[in-house]
Amino acid sequence: MGKKISFILNGVKREVYVEPNELLLNVLREKMGLTGTKYGCGIGECGACTVLLNGNPVLSCLTLAMDVDGKELVTIEGLAQEELQIIQRTFLEEGAVQCGFCTPGIIIMAKSLLKNKTNPTEEEIREYLKGNLCRCTGYVNIVKSIKRAAGKACKKC
Amino acid sequence: MKLIPPFTYYKPETIEEAISLLDEFKEAKVIAGGTDLIPLIRDGKYTPQKMVDISFIDELNFVREEGGYIKIGAATTHSDILNSKILNEKTNVLVQAVKNLGSPQIRNLGTIGGNLCNASPAADTAPPLLVLEAELLIQGSKGERRIPVKDFFLGPGKTILKRNEILREIHIPSEVGKMKGVFLKLGRREAHTLSIVCTAVLLKADTEFEDIRIALGAVAPIPIRAKETESYLRGKEVTEKKIDEGTEIVKKEVKPITDVRGTKEYRTEMSKVFVKRAINKALKGEVECK
Amino acid sequence: MTETREVTAERGPFFFKRELGKEEGEYKLVGREIERPDAFSKIMGLTKFTADRLTEDVCFGKIVRSKYPHALIKRVIVDEALQIKGVLAVITAKDVPGENQIGYAIPDQPLLADKKVRYIGEPIAIVVAENEYAAEKGVEAVKVEYDPLPAVFDPLEALKPEAPKVHEKGNVALTTIIRKGDVEKGFKEADVVVENIYYTQRQEHAYLEPEAAIAYPEGDGIRVVLCTQSPFLVREFVSRVTGYSQSKIKVIGAPAGGAFGGKDDMGPMVASKAALAAIITKKPVAIILDKEETFVASNKRHPAIIRYKSGATKDGKLTAVEIEIIYETGAYANRSPFVLWRATVHSAGPYVVPNAKVDGKSVYTNKVFSGSFRGFGDPQIHFAAEQQMDELAEKLGIDPVEFRLRNVLKEGTRTVCNQLLEESVGMEETLKKVAEAANWKKKREELKKYRKGSKVRGIGVACAYHGISTSRGVPDWSAAAVLLNEDGTITYRSTITRLGQGSLIGHAKIVAEILDIPLEWVHIEEPDTSASPNARPTHGSRGLMTGGTAAADAALKLRRTLIKLASELLNCDEKNVKLENGKAFCALDPSNKIEFSELAKETYQRGYQPAYYGFYFVPRRYFDPETGLGVAYCVYTYIANIVEVEVDKETGEVKVLEAYTGADVGKAIDPGLIEGQMQGALAQGIGYAISEEVAFNDGKIINPNYTDYIIPTVKDVPRKVKVVIIEKPYSSTAFGAKGVAEAALIPTAPAIANAVAHATGVRVRNLPLTKEKVCFKLKEGKK
Repeated sequence: MGKKISFILNGVKREVYVEPNELLLNVLREKMGLTGTKYGCGIGECGACTVLLNGNPVLSCLTLAMDVDGKELVTIEGLAQEELQIIQRTFLEEGAVQCGFCTPGIIIMAKSLLKNKTNPTEEEIREYLKGNLCRCTGYVNIVKSIKRAAGKACKKC
Repeated sequence: MKLIPPFTYYKPETIEEAISLLDEFKEAKVIAGGTDLIPLIRDGKYTPQKMVDISFIDELNFVREEGGYIKIGAATTHSDILNSKILNEKTNVLVQAVKNLGSPQIRNLGTIGGNLCNASPAADTAPPLLVLEAELLIQGSKGERRIPVKDFFLGPGKTILKRNEILREIHIPSEVGKMKGVFLKLGRREAHTLSIVCTAVLLKADTEFEDIRIALGAVAPIPIRAKETESYLRGKEVTEKKIDEGTEIVKKEVKPITDVRGTKEYRTEMSKVFVKRAINKALKGEVECK
Repeated sequence: MTETREVTAERGPFFFKRELGKEEGEYKLVGREIERPDAFSKIMGLTKFTADRLTEDVCFGKIVRSKYPHALIKRVIVDEALQIKGVLAVITAKDVPGENQIGYAIPDQPLLADKKVRYIGEPIAIVVAENEYAAEKGVEAVKVEYDPLPAVFDPLEALKPEAPKVHEKGNVALTTIIRKGDVEKGFKEADVVVENIYYTQRQEHAYLEPEAAIAYPEGDGIRVVLCTQSPFLVREFVSRVTGYSQSKIKVIGAPAGGAFGGKDDMGPMVASKAALAAIITKKPVAIILDKEETFVASNKRHPAIIRYKSGATKDGKLTAVEIEIIYETGAYANRSPFVLWRATVHSAGPYVVPNAKVDGKSVYTNKVFSGSFRGFGDPQIHFAAEQQMDELAEKLGIDPVEFRLRNVLKEGTRTVCNQLLEESVGMEETLKKVAEAANWKKKREELKKYRKGSKVRGIGVACAYHGISTSRGVPDWSAAAVLLNEDGTITYRSTITRLGQGSLIGHAKIVAEILDIPLEWVHIEEPDTSASPNARPTHGSRGLMTGGTAAADAALKLRRTLIKLASELLNCDEKNVKLENGKAFCALDPSNKIEFSELAKETYQRGYQPAYYGFYFVPRRYFDPETGLGVAYCVYTYIANIVEVEVDKETGEVKVLEAYTGADVGKAIDPGLIEGQMQGALAQGIGYAISEEVAFNDGKIINPNYTDYIIPTVKDVPRKVKVVIIEKPYSSTAFGAKGVAEAALIPTAPAIANAVAHATGVRVRNLPLTKEKVCFKLKEGKK
């Protein structure tokens, strides 16, 4: 049964019972049905499970579910509420997606980067994404997409 | 997806509360960011029965300057250190190390106290704190004690912390701000990787080395100071030759092991190379800022 | 040694131009870059990978693995595990209803080890439980009693007569051979001879998504959903293991989070276990490997030891090669017969070599089995071949690009197997274009200036070729289905799988181009063995070339039907009927037209066939395994890479600053997708060249995670990557397309090694070029 926690998930207040040993990733995928957040390595090395916790990117595979009580959480499913984020659009246009397994984590990171820095340099983009592994794209089009998204002034991002 | 084994979880809001939980439950383990601990638990290398999460204790989360010290709460995240105005302005050698530590996501969770208490020989925050000659404030049920950071580590995964004590604060003497600090790291790739060797150098020099402090990580069972190298260089003229001679001594001071990340021989060679590079960088004043 | 059926199919670009009545420039989809239709759900987080399909009723299977590298199994004690709450069954070899055998070409590998284990991590039992945690507890509770045997971890040791035998027949899994011309004579004619030994390491695929399969008992059959490269191969193996007939097994290929060959080999193994568990417990069962299990127990790229001798005349012509190849296959042969043959027939690189003696051996050891991995045996052999080329060029004082150009395969020349290359041979043009893009001549000179200080720069080149589809006389074919729905949309079916590469998007583009309808009208169904024709595996860079040609065959059949129907409806001669932009009209009077949806409805109303099965049989000819001579592959993709590196002489760090990669792809159906494949393969090649290596201690993998298995991050890849696409169409396939997915990886490591040699004067013949290795090699070189 566990303890009841409540938090804002993608803009909606949610309540759920969690056990202490449940990780945020378990809860999102198994209890909330939000499978966009991926389970890659489970040890914080690949970045595929990245979500925004109170606006900051964290790894849901290393976060105890209990710790999100009272906080605000955004997953890939909650990013495009009314329309696509600009970063999602440039990902489509630049062909930054191949298998798509790292994509949610990287989009969350890009979104967080662009929120903090409207016009990052290429090296700043790479520095910020260093914890997100991608085995398909060689990162070429991912970096290109973020550069392009950054170039456009984006109020909604 | 793989679950971690069950445990009882406590979320104290004060240090006092945390200490009394640790006093009460012998099997309790402190967790802060969890970035080191959760992978260990997942791998079955560690099976805690009870966890005391100190990451919600406000009194453990701050960076401020007072009484001649820059004080950092042990549960301060790496991100908060990276963004700390005080640390960036006063002495950014710790900031440089944190910048090289993990990924932004890891830094949003992981804490400086956790990095120290986990006592990895390769902990990136240890060499900067060693050269800054930081002191650690440790809290137990019977009061607090202060120890220099150099006395904190006992071996891989081992510190002087007693079971019912927690690391409370890290105190960096403010005066070190006058010295130039550089942190450098060699990993097997550019980023987001563990150190083969890391080093922090803090120095004051014009034509000669007025003061110099050198520390290294990942090249001994615990993070170390290269005292002999320091004393050789101290008072010496700043020349390429002297730096080369001095840093040759580092090779004798390190006691690395061979593992999957690098051999003893390579780590020994690289200790010299990186200390030398760090000194030269500090002399040139090429210090990376955030 | 029987002559295989020869099939000549006239399908290349000219055929399509004639058939569609269009010039290439008029194509709307073929040859043009498009926004991937599958990307939208991926950027929204809505794509359902295998593990995203778990429902509450699904039970979990976890695998009990060997703790010994080589041991007899005395007993497997399961009682304690069965006592654990939630544990439903513990399945061992004796519970396998069918054949306990999953060897791919050689029947040497059990699904669950019964008598003997041959590597650490080998599956012995499956614990099935209602939840994952109970299954894990159950795994811990299963006791296996072993009788340890001496183990062998090194292929050269394994070849010694006194070595422990991994398999009863001995430690050589198979041998290969090429005997062409007279090598002795060849070396006599040579003015320079270079001989070296090269070593390459085990590489892990390291895809982010671990292997996963969910099996559901359904009626008197079973349905399996998994990330796989070959649903029909999975079906074959599930049938073999469970004893169910193939018709009662339905395999669905879910999108894979990366595959690179790993899921080709692992798919059948994981699926068979899940199916077995589901049949025995009569419940849906998921087997999802943990990342660490993937590292420990999934197939790897074969480590190789290659002794390579080659000679050339002073005017820069190769005269002979003599090559000994040892590929370590680990505990089981798995794909080794195919990997080793591929390496053997490509062993001279993309060059004309009149005399060749090549001997290959695949050797067993007590380590995790080797198998399919992007490049499939070619990266190792090219690592050797292409460094040999540079060394010969250096000795001869000829520029490395120039030296290669004097020897490259061209139309009308013969390969090392004596295969006459009749068409689609773009090596020369590819190398020239890539050298031009990289500004080779100028850079090669200019970088000599970066020789002072601790950081030096160099530029290196390497070429490669890679046969598409299966090797030698082994038959290969593909199939697809196109169904015209009553509203004019198309349902497209194939079992080429979705690994991120986008082959099926290429198929859909081909179908839409042939029917001249918008791409959105073509709906790609999920690969399903019960509904889709057998397109055969998604490997060997064949997904687009063979699968797409089958798609074209089906679409052309539908097109002909629609033209006939339109002719009837429009009262217009068939030769004047045009299909364009989702309409049919009469060329003599364009206003005399009919919408595609109307046409679709009429197809049914007037009794025309609305669905077609497309088939493509890859041209096959004679190959003699006794001499290694004959037609090894129907066609080859030709590749050239040039990289600029910076070497830190103090630390040994090799940084790739710029990379240029080009390939002759036949015809680019989608240049964007090709670029994506080449950029990704290049990065994987950089990892292979510089940092990736599966490390062992007494047969146990000591870096089974992303912490210590070092793949490139976004900071480790070059800031400048340029892809060059060359088109030398192939007359047997849709629009002339060949394959490209593996291409750019193959010459990456040798190009980097050659660039390092250019920068430092020191040659590293042992992969990977880690900082440490290069550092010590440079110190050695100085002495």
